[in-house]
Amino acid sequence: MSECKFHIDFIKHRKIYFTISAILMIFCIVSTFIFGAKLDIQFKGGTLITYLYEGDIDISTFQSDASAALDGIGVKATTGTDFNTGKNNIQLSMLSNSGLTADKQILLTDTLTEKYADNDLELIESTDVSPSAGKEFFSKCIVAAVFAAIVLIIYIAVRFKNIGGWLAGVCAVVALLHDIIVVYGTFIVFGMEIDANFMAVVLTIFGYSINSTIVIYDRIRENQKLYGKKLSLGELTNLSVNQSMTRSINTNITTVSAMIVISIVAMVYGVNSIISFSFPMTMGLISGAYSSTCIAGPLWVWLEEKKAGKGKPKAAPEKSAEA
Amino acid sequence: MVIKVKRVKKPVFFVVFLLIALFAVSVIFGFSTFYGDIETVYVKGVDDIRFGIDIKGGVDVTFTPPEGFDATDEQLDSAKEVIVQRMINLNITDYEAYIDYSNDRIIVRFPWKEGEAEFDPEAAVKELGETAQLTFREGYEVDDLNKPTGVTASNVILEGKDVSQAYAAYTQSDSSGTEWVVALNLTDEGAQKFKEATEKLYAEGGVISIWMDDTCISYPRVSAVISDGKATISGNFDADSSKKLADQINSGALPFKLVTASFSTISPSLGMGALEAMVVAGIIAFVIIAVFMIITYRLPGFIAVIALVGQVAGTLAFVSGYFGFNASGILTIPGIAGIILAVGMGVDANVITAERIKEELNNGKTIDGALISGYQRALSAIMDGNITMILVAIILMGAFGTPDSIFAKALHFVFFMFGPSTAGTIYSFGFTLLTGTVLNLFFGVFCSRLMIMSLSGFKAFRNPVLYGGAKK
Repeated sequence: MSECKFHIDFIKHRKIYFTISAILMIFCIVSTFIFGAKLDIQFKGGTLITYLYEGDIDISTFQSDASAALDGIGVKATTGTDFNTGKNNIQLSMLSNSGLTADKQILLTDTLTEKYADNDLELIESTDVSPSAGKEFFSKCIVAAVFAAIVLIIYIAVRFKNIGGWLAGVCAVVALLHDIIVVYGTFIVFGMEIDANFMAVVLTIFGYSINSTIVIYDRIRENQKLYGKKLSLGELTNLSVNQSMTRSINTNITTVSAMIVISIVAMVYGVNSIISFSFPMTMGLISGAYSSTCIAGPLWVWLEEKKAGKGKPKAAPEKSAEA
Repeated sequence: MVIKVKRVKKPVFFVVFLLIALFAVSVIFGFSTFYGDIETVYVKGVDDIRFGIDIKGGVDVTFTPPEGFDATDEQLDSAKEVIVQRMINLNITDYEAYIDYSNDRIIVRFPWKEGEAEFDPEAAVKELGETAQLTFREGYEVDDLNKPTGVTASNVILEGKDVSQAYAAYTQSDSSGTEWVVALNLTDEGAQKFKEATEKLYAEGGVISIWMDDTCISYPRVSAVISDGKATISGNFDADSSKKLADQINSGALPFKLVTASFSTISPSLGMGALEAMVVAGIIAFVIIAVFMIITYRLPGFIAVIALVGQVAGTLAFVSGYFGFNASGILTIPGIAGIILAVGMGVDANVITAERIKEELNNGKTIDGALISGYQRALSAIMDGNITMILVAIILMGAFGTPDSIFAKALHFVFFMFGPSTAGTIYSFGFTLLTGTVLNLFFGVFCSRLMIMSLSGFKAFRNPVLYGGAKK
C-alpha cells in the first residue's frame, strides 16, 4: 500500500456527514419560505419607467432616490441616449411583485421631478413587462438538468462499471444536487436576486462538483484493480478518498482563492453585482469539496452494502466489491 | 506494466513554449498579417471582444405592431420568439426581450458599444423588424410597383410554414455553372401542395414566383413535376445572402410588421466599473494560482502555468473571433463563468498529474518512470472529468441554442415538446465551457506533457526534488 499523508476514516463518520448535509439541505429549502426568493425582472416581469432628462444625473443617487420615494422597493436604473433625437434618458426597472400601482407611479414621478428640477425630467414611457424567461424557460431548464443527470449517470455507469456503475452515478448526482441546493440557499439567505448570475453559478458548480466526484471514483477504480479483494469496499473508499486529499485541497485552494480575490476586488470597485456571483460560487466550491469527499464515496459504500444486505461497514463481504 | 521510455527531444520544450507565447501575445494584441501573398488579414485582439449588456451596455429597442393592428397575446409571443431567433442568427447571443401585453409592445435589448465598427445596430434593428414572409406564388404578374397582382396575388402555392428546413447550398446548375442557392425541405403537406402546383404549371408551361415579403427573389419556369418535397431558390446569391435567407425562413415569419417605437442606448446593468474590476481580479487571481502552482509543484507547476496561459489565450481567441472560421461571440457573465470553470479544470488536470508524479517518485521510481506512469495514471481521471464537462456543455448548447444547430438537432428527441426557446446567456456558458475544456485537453494534457518530457532530458532538470520527490 502506498504511503498516504491522510488517514481519516470517512466511512466510520458517515452518519455525522449525512446528518450535517440533511440539516443543511432542509435549512436551505425551508429558508425559501422564511426569506422568500427574489426573482429578477427577467423571470418575474415588472415595470419599466423611462424619463428624458437634461444635464447630468448620477445613476446611483437617482436609483436610491427613486427607491426611497417608493418606500424602499428595489429599483435598478440605467441611462441611455436616443438614436433619433439624441436626448438622454434614464430608465428605472422594478419587479412586478413590488406592487407598483398607478398612484405610486404618479407619486414617484412627482417626487423625482421635484428633486431633479434642474434636469427637466419628462416621463416618456411606462411599460409593464411580462417575464422574458417565463414558465417554458424554467421547464426547459428542468428537462435539460434531468437529461444531463441521466447522461452523467449513464456515462459513470459505463466508465465505472467495475465499481458498481449505476449506484456510483446516482451518488455523484446526489452530491451534485447537494451543492446546487447550497448555492441556492446562499442566494436566498443573503437576499440576492435570482438572475443570470445565479444560472452561471449553478452551472459552474454543476461542473466542479461532478468533476471532484469523478476524480475520487477514478482512484477507487484504480485501487480496486490494485488491491481487488484484499480490501473491503469501505477500506477501499477510505484509502482512495485519503489519497485524493492533497489534490482536493490544492485544487480547491486555487479555485476558492481566485473567487475570494474576485470578491475583494469587486468590493473595492464597488461592483456589488459581481459579488453576487463570486460569493455564492465560493460557497458552492466549498460545498463541492465537502460533498465529493464526505458524501459521494460514503453514500455509495452505504448503498452498496444495503444492496448486499449487510449493515456493518467493516463486515462488507468480498463479493460486494465486485457488484 | 510495460513502460516504454520514449524520450522527447530537448528542443521541443522551447518550440512549444515559443508557440504558446506567440499565440498568447497575438491573441491579446491582435495584428495585421499577410495571408498567402495578397490579402492582409486583421487578426482580432482582446480589445475586439464584444461584451454582454450586463458588462458593456447596449441598445434598447421598443417594437410595436403597425398603427391600427391589434395583436393578440399569442401573436406577440410568436413575434418575440422570431426576434430572439433572428438575434441568435445575427450572432447576438446576449439579449433581453420583454413583452407588454396591455400596450402591444415588445422591448428588446442587445449589446452594442459606441464606435463598434463591425456591428451596425440600425441595420440589425431593421433586420429584426422585417416580416420575412416567404411565399411561392403562381405566375409572375406584377403591378407598377412590382407588387403581385392578378393570379400571382391570389394563388399562393407555398408559405414559410410549409418549409420544414432551409439551408444554404452550393450547387452545379446547367445554365450558370456553380452557384449558391437556398435549398428547402418541405413538410408533407407542403410537398403535396407543391406537387399539385408543379403538375398543373408544368402542363401549362407556367412559372412560379418566389417572394420574400413584397420582393420577388426569382420566377423560375416549371421544368418538371416535383413530388419529393425538395425545392431550391436561386437568384444571385452568395454564401452570406443565401445563409441569411435560409436563417430567415427557418426562424419563421413575423405575424405582423414591427415598427420601431423607440430606439436608444442603454448603460451597462452591472455598472461602469464592472469590466475593469473583472480584468484586475482575473489578473490577480491568475498570478496567485501561478505562484501557488510553482511553489507547490516546482517544475510541473511551472509547466502548468505555461499550459494555462495557452488555454486562457485559446478561449479568448475563440470568443474574439481570432480564428477566421468562427464569428466573434459575445462575452457575458455566464460566459466568463464558463471560462473560469474550464480554467479550474485546467488547474485540476495539472494538480492531479503533478500529485501522481510525486507519488510515483516517492514509490521509488526514476524520473522518467515517474513522469510516464504519472501522466498515464492521471489521464483516466482527467479524461473522465473533461468528457463529462463536454457532455454538459453540449446539452446546454443543444437546449438553449438555435434549433438548426447540430447540437439542437441531435437533442431534438429530448426537447421536442418545447418551442425553440433559446437562451443566449446559457448558450454562451456552454460555448466557452466547451472550447475551454477541449483546449484544456490540448494544452493541459498534450502540450504540458511534451514540455515536461523534453525538459527532463536536460541534466539541470534531473533532480527529483524539482518534481516534488525526495533529494537524490
